[in-house]
Amino acid sequence: MTRWGMAIDTDRCTGCGACVVACHAENNIQTVGEVEAGKGRAMHWLRIERYYEGEFPDIKVRFQPVLCQHCGSAPCEPVCPVYATYRTPEGLNAMVYSRCIGTRYCANNCPYTVRFFNWFEGEWPEPLERQWNPDVSVRPAGVMEKCTFCVQRIQDAEDIAQDEDRGVRDGEIRTACSQSCPAQAITFGDLEDPESRVSELERTERATRLLEDLSTDSSVIYLRGGR
Amino acid sequence: MGSFHAVFARPEQARTALARLASDGVSSDDIEMRSSAPLDHHLLPHGASVSSRVPWHALIGGILGGIAFFSMVKFTSEAYPLPTGGMPIVPLPTSGIITFEGMAIGAILMTVGTVLFECGLPGLRSVAGPLDHHLADDHVLITVQCGEDASTVWADGALETARS
Amino acid sequence: MASVATAAAEAAESRESEQVLVRPVTTFRPKLLLGSLLAGGVMGLLFYSWGYQIVNDIGVAGISRPNFWGFYIVNFVFWIGISHAGTLISAILRVTQAEWRRPVTRCAEAITTFALMIGGLFPLIHLGRPWVFWYMVPLPTSRGIWPNFRSPLMWDIMAISTYLLGSMLYLFLPMIPDMAILRDKTMKDAPGSLRTLFFRVLAMGWRGTPQQWHSLEAGIKAMAVIIIPVAISVHTIVSWDFAMAIQPMWHSAIFGPYFVVGAIYSGIAVLMVAMYLLRRGMGIGEYLSDKVFNNLGLLFLAFAMMWSYFTFAEHLTVWYGSEHAEMAVFNLRLYGPAAWVFWTMIVTNVVIPLLILPFPKGRSPLGTAIVGLGVLVGMWIERYLIVVNTLSLPRLDFTVGSYSPSWTELGILVGSAGMFVFLYFTFVQLIPIVSIWEVREGEHIRDHKAQTIIAGEEA
Repeated sequence: MTRWGMAIDTDRCTGCGACVVACHAENNIQTVGEVEAGKGRAMHWLRIERYYEGEFPDIKVRFQPVLCQHCGSAPCEPVCPVYATYRTPEGLNAMVYSRCIGTRYCANNCPYTVRFFNWFEGEWPEPLERQWNPDVSVRPAGVMEKCTFCVQRIQDAEDIAQDEDRGVRDGEIRTACSQSCPAQAITFGDLEDPESRVSELERTERATRLLEDLSTDSSVIYLRGGR
Repeated sequence: MGSFHAVFARPEQARTALARLASDGVSSDDIEMRSSAPLDHHLLPHGASVSSRVPWHALIGGILGGIAFFSMVKFTSEAYPLPTGGMPIVPLPTSGIITFEGMAIGAILMTVGTVLFECGLPGLRSVAGPLDHHLADDHVLITVQCGEDASTVWADGALETARS
Repeated sequence: MASVATAAAEAAESRESEQVLVRPVTTFRPKLLLGSLLAGGVMGLLFYSWGYQIVNDIGVAGISRPNFWGFYIVNFVFWIGISHAGTLISAILRVTQAEWRRPVTRCAEAITTFALMIGGLFPLIHLGRPWVFWYMVPLPTSRGIWPNFRSPLMWDIMAISTYLLGSMLYLFLPMIPDMAILRDKTMKDAPGSLRTLFFRVLAMGWRGTPQQWHSLEAGIKAMAVIIIPVAISVHTIVSWDFAMAIQPMWHSAIFGPYFVVGAIYSGIAVLMVAMYLLRRGMGIGEYLSDKVFNNLGLLFLAFAMMWSYFTFAEHLTVWYGSEHAEMAVFNLRLYGPAAWVFWTMIVTNVVIPLLILPFPKGRSPLGTAIVGLGVLVGMWIERYLIVVNTLSLPRLDFTVGSYSPSWTELGILVGSAGMFVFLYFTFVQLIPIVSIWEVREGEHIRDHKAQTIIAGEEA
């Protein structure tokens, strides 16, 4: 069975934010504007968390890109009253926009705060709507959204592989964030495939998960401690 | 056959009247006693008895309701199974909560239904009598189905009487 | 013979004093109608704000990320909590056969029913897409998908629907004989009027025969026994909206009992205020007597102590465990910039009740009403703290939240209070607020006891 996962190397991350922009562009994420962002309603499915360590002049900055961890035992899934979020057989935490009625319980239960709500309908003044990715729906107001591991790209690659009567090769699927990272800090692949790059990274010494004490069984591995 | 109505100021007077009716041999089927508040349980026409199946029906309603709601959870979850958070498709604790509420709804509906049925409500064929307004003043109204020439000695001491 | 004569005189006196119960529903009372209209105006604010929110999207509310829940959920828990007033009085006191409950049962059950109706609106108000709320209703659809019964929100729906249905029926069943009393009265005085028709319809042909009384009382007893576990389950399930989440200071096993105790506490508070206002405004001090206030005041004190105990236990556990994420929320609550909110709650819910209620003078109608008002504010604050403190401090502390309500949220809160007052004022003008037949039944029981004593003495 496939289980999609990601390895993020925080030692390589420079905090440039290219992944955040790529994610916005790929997934038709709305930009909420200055006022709404001031209220904390910005929608960055992937965000770069910045932590300072130490005192001046020995300050170190640590960057930590955080996105939906696609937990195996996701706290957000059982609390949705209408099954708008559930676990797919391939290990993705799916979000069904048309089913969501907007109770926002899933967002409350996510310990990583990676869920985002459409408080208003997005505004794309002409000609910005031409940049929409046709493979991704544009969400209406009142609906929850979050990182999908670029499920449209996964679907695309699987369709092509099926047409060609083969399985998906490692490295064939690149999420928008992993594709755009100049430091190649983000690796995406099948965690159940022992020969995939992401599996190899999972087995290294530097591999950890976020908030492991909560036993969410997340699919995103963070590599840290190299320096 | 008409009815003879008598209104008594106090329940004790009604008790006396009922005793006289019993000694006159009037059947309890022909006697109707009405009051605006419950009286002493033993204050009944001779030979009459009151009973209610409400507790049994409430229990049966609870069992049926519980089964119904558990079935609803089980069959709807299995009809379109979507795994969430690593839980089983029909977890017992969560299904138990819904089953409990089902038991409550079943018991409530059966209780209310039984009460309405046993009381004969809504009493669409209920006919108002000439002395009914005395009930509003907390008096006891006794109506006896009897012929024109039947003895009305039992109604001695009544506040008011009437025939209809 | 003398005892029968005095009994008859007493009975005539009771009928006289009952006039104060009957007159509000048989005559036109301009002050009560004005109250209804004013409250109705305030209620309009609820619907206006809600309508504005539906048209302009939920973003007009002050909630945001990470405070995804705010005033609407606070109000939801608050109103559902208040609804536990009736259950305590009608059901628990009926089951324990406390005779002093008789004048209070209906006004308490009315509070329950109306509070539930209002509380039940809030899950709709807080939805992002309320027009598809019916996805939560288990109906067969063309897609073949059903609601997720593993979600505490679905348990909420089942529990609150059951409780609302049960409460309405529990309010309605004992109303039937009173409707019959009013029907019989008005049929003589004003046979053709609309009021008479109203009472006749609601009386449903009730005759008051011993069999009917037996069935009705069996039914009321059964409902009382059923509705107690339902009420406990309702607020437990509402608390599980929080406790089932793994958020710091939400994921607590104590929430079930804590919220039930808090709910009954706030329910008694509302009841005390409502009873005080009814006593003053409608002159029914003979029924809502000092003794009733005293006894309810004792219950109020008991729940004040229980609530304080649970609050202390909850906070001690968190503080002693010293777990990082929980301590962040704890410190925000007790020592943060808005800590005055928490300490206000401690004053209104712990200090003032425990200073006033233990004394008989404190359990006077005015004393309990003042304490009740404070407790209402304090219990609202408790729900606010629980919802907002935890959500403001996510575990990954790069994201920090602050919440301030918008005018729609404030308008809906004020409007909901207006709706409650409106429903109550309207009820008081249609249905006698004290259950006449139950009070009469109490008198019969007392007379019967007195007579057996007298008979015993004369024998």
